[in-house]
Amino acid sequence: MRVEYINPFVESAYNVLKEVLDCPVTRGELYLKSASTPVLGVAVLVGLAGDVEGRVLFDMNRATAVAIASTMNGEELQKLDELGKATITELANMITAQAVTKLYELGFRFDLTPPAIFTGDNMEVSTSQVEALIVPMEVPQGKLEINVAIRERA
Amino acid sequence: MKLMGGMPNLNEKRPLGLRDDGTPYRVLVVDDSMFVIKQINQILTSESFSIVATAGDGEEGLEKYKEFFPNIDLVTMDVTMPKMDGLSALEKILEFDRNARVVMVSALGKEDLVKRALMTGAKNYIVKPLDRKKVLERIATSLKL
Repeated sequence: MRVEYINPFVESAYNVLKEVLDCPVTRGELYLKSASTPVLGVAVLVGLAGDVEGRVLFDMNRATAVAIASTMNGEELQKLDELGKATITELANMITAQAVTKLYELGFRFDLTPPAIFTGDNMEVSTSQVEALIVPMEVPQGKLEINVAIRERA
Repeated sequence: MKLMGGMPNLNEKRPLGLRDDGTPYRVLVVDDSMFVIKQINQILTSESFSIVATAGDGEEGLEKYKEFFPNIDLVTMDVTMPKMDGLSALEKILEFDRNARVVMVSALGKEDLVKRALMTGAKNYIVKPLDRKKVLERIATSLKL
């Protein structure tokens, strides 16, 4: 996977998290995953289609999702209810959209699918024939991973 | 100098959501995210705008616009939505009412998309994450266009 695809996601994740949570954000080391990837409990999937195709997965555990959604709403949510899910989905949407805008400025053309959120235990995601690059991010609410699997359309 | 009782305080700023006669501007919010609807609702009601209806996709947004017409002063419209996207809904609302004031609200800030929306007839374009000041400025400007 070309690094040009990844940097916009790293930058926009950093910028959006910093802006909406108003707190320090630490980026971990990027790493590759080629086989099935376990999902931490709450995952938002956004599909990309155009010059490049693939998907971006935003993955975190339930406690982190509740804490992030609480901060974004300015109120303490007790569980990941409909508002909490909508909040995490919107966070993923904002990060992906800002990255796509940057990629567009670099000359890549593609569209996004509306985000879909998955919650559950012991989930795995597999993306055949394309490696996933993981961008770990840490905020005071917990850790989240941005899992990017993109390839150029054949 | 002593002010007469009951005289309006000229230094008190009128909320952006109120007209000269004190009635609120009426807004339809179209977005597939409950979170964004809540955010826009909080920002606008804090300035006394009235949210007359909300819709979760472009199709519902168009239906609501027709249902509440002519009692809608402005629409905030998301771009990426299921069923009917925001640009299609913008076109259809303008076909129905060429004077409709629609402000696009999207996380996508791609230049061609912004241009397309403005060329189609959107009054303004706001890129998310939403900033209270920016939202109010753009909406107030759009109401004067």
